[in-house]
Amino acid sequence: MTQASLSPPAPARLGLPALSGAAMQRILAGAIILLLWEGVVRLAAPAYVAKPSGIIAAFPNVITSAPFLSATGITLLAVAQGLAIALVLGTIIGLAMGRSVVVDRLLRHYVNGFYAVPMIVVLPLVTLWFGYTSAARFATIVFAAMFSIIVNVADGAKSVPKEYLEVAQSFRSGRIRMLIEIVLPAATPYFLAGLRLAAGRALIGAVVAEFFTAIGGLGYYILYNSRTFHHNEAFVGVLLLAAFGVGFELLVNWGIRRFLPWYRRDERTE
Amino acid sequence: MRRDLLNRHAPFAASLLAGILLWEVVGRQSSPAFMVPFSVTLVRLWQLIASGQLGAQFLNSAILFLTGVTLAIVVGMPAGMLLARVRGLRVAVEPYIMVLYATPMVALIPFILSMMGFGFVPKVLVVFLFAVFPVLYNTIEGARSIKPELIEVARSYRSGEWALWREVMVPYTLPFTMTGVRQAIGRGLVGMVAAEFFLSSTGLGQLIMTASQDFDTAGVFAIILIIGLIGVGLMRVGLLIENHFARWRN
Repeated sequence: MTQASLSPPAPARLGLPALSGAAMQRILAGAIILLLWEGVVRLAAPAYVAKPSGIIAAFPNVITSAPFLSATGITLLAVAQGLAIALVLGTIIGLAMGRSVVVDRLLRHYVNGFYAVPMIVVLPLVTLWFGYTSAARFATIVFAAMFSIIVNVADGAKSVPKEYLEVAQSFRSGRIRMLIEIVLPAATPYFLAGLRLAAGRALIGAVVAEFFTAIGGLGYYILYNSRTFHHNEAFVGVLLLAAFGVGFELLVNWGIRRFLPWYRRDERTE
Repeated sequence: MRRDLLNRHAPFAASLLAGILLWEVVGRQSSPAFMVPFSVTLVRLWQLIASGQLGAQFLNSAILFLTGVTLAIVVGMPAGMLLARVRGLRVAVEPYIMVLYATPMVALIPFILSMMGFGFVPKVLVVFLFAVFPVLYNTIEGARSIKPELIEVARSYRSGEWALWREVMVPYTLPFTMTGVRQAIGRGLVGMVAAEFFLSSTGLGQLIMTASQDFDTAGVFAIILIIGLIGVGLMRVGLLIENHFARWRN
């Protein structure tokens, strides 16, 4: 007798057999949260405060409006550019630290130190250097993103099994070639872990820099609209930011499963 | 023994010296509006300490930080365990917690500003929001991984819900919570500076803002140095706490 025939048939749920119990619970919880939010705001808060019905009403207009789209484009482009620079610099420095004891000893404390510093404190300095310009935002993004990549790539480069390098050496492989063909692939999972962190930090860096310098972008869009009491419109911007955060996380996870199927996340937690 | 100590600490001392030297040389070469040498930064730092400004503002920041992070732990830990214990509830709200965990909390600061204004409470709320989700998330993960056998054994000895929490749930979950606390300390520091920048200006955040507006580059460097040292120190404390509790995980 098979196991399946022992279990009772799944009860039909309100004509929605396609949804599992968990999905139903989640939808229900979501509905309750939204209702609570709506109710509290309607009863206790001023009219301008964001509430689900207002956000839904504002959503189509905001998402198609030219200022919103251009603000989103500007911020995303800045994040992508800053992230690209941070990736290149971070990978080079990280590899150097991972494979050379001298470089590691020279830089380790500084990298760890800068990594621990709340990146937001550099804003006043960055604006002193670059003025209230998009260059200041760019510098903030690079600073915010770079150190998590350095730390992770350096860890990855250190973790390469010695045997691989010994085999390569006994086949008289050059140093550069070993770096590209052995160390880099071995460090890829660490690199991705760093990238996931870096993307979130870069996005926060961009938003914070826009708050601080009042240069155009999604962060400034949120700031401006909430200052002029258009909270519903501003909240659409927050939703988009959250979507980017979650979306990037999913993208990296998908990339790991698709291209690095041998690497499982729980292996690294030691 | 001495030699061992020397070998361990000499590279660190050398890299520290090299960094300070580089800072000093670059600072002397560039215009004082752009960058100041290490020595000038130290002099300015001493002035800030001697005038009592740094001490007063540090205390201000510390109160904000401690209040927010303590609240985050006090709320996040029991809430996380409750969610782990009541399975239906956890399944229902987990995705929303994940989304909030991934949302950049800085984006909520303008809303908090226009709804709650410039008091102490909105700033504590910012620190709390930055810090609570790591605690909550890690506690849930920890409490979830409790082996069902442990609870079954406790049950078969007729342990009540209260005893179950005290003897099984809390001791088992605490190390995981402490990982969350370590993350919360780092995030809370970011939240503290963000609150001091964008809500009412107080504490170390205010000190750095005024220095920047007065083109007091030495002052900016001095306070960044201090906040950096605090950041590194707090990270160490966080790691110590985490490792202390990790000992009984194994």
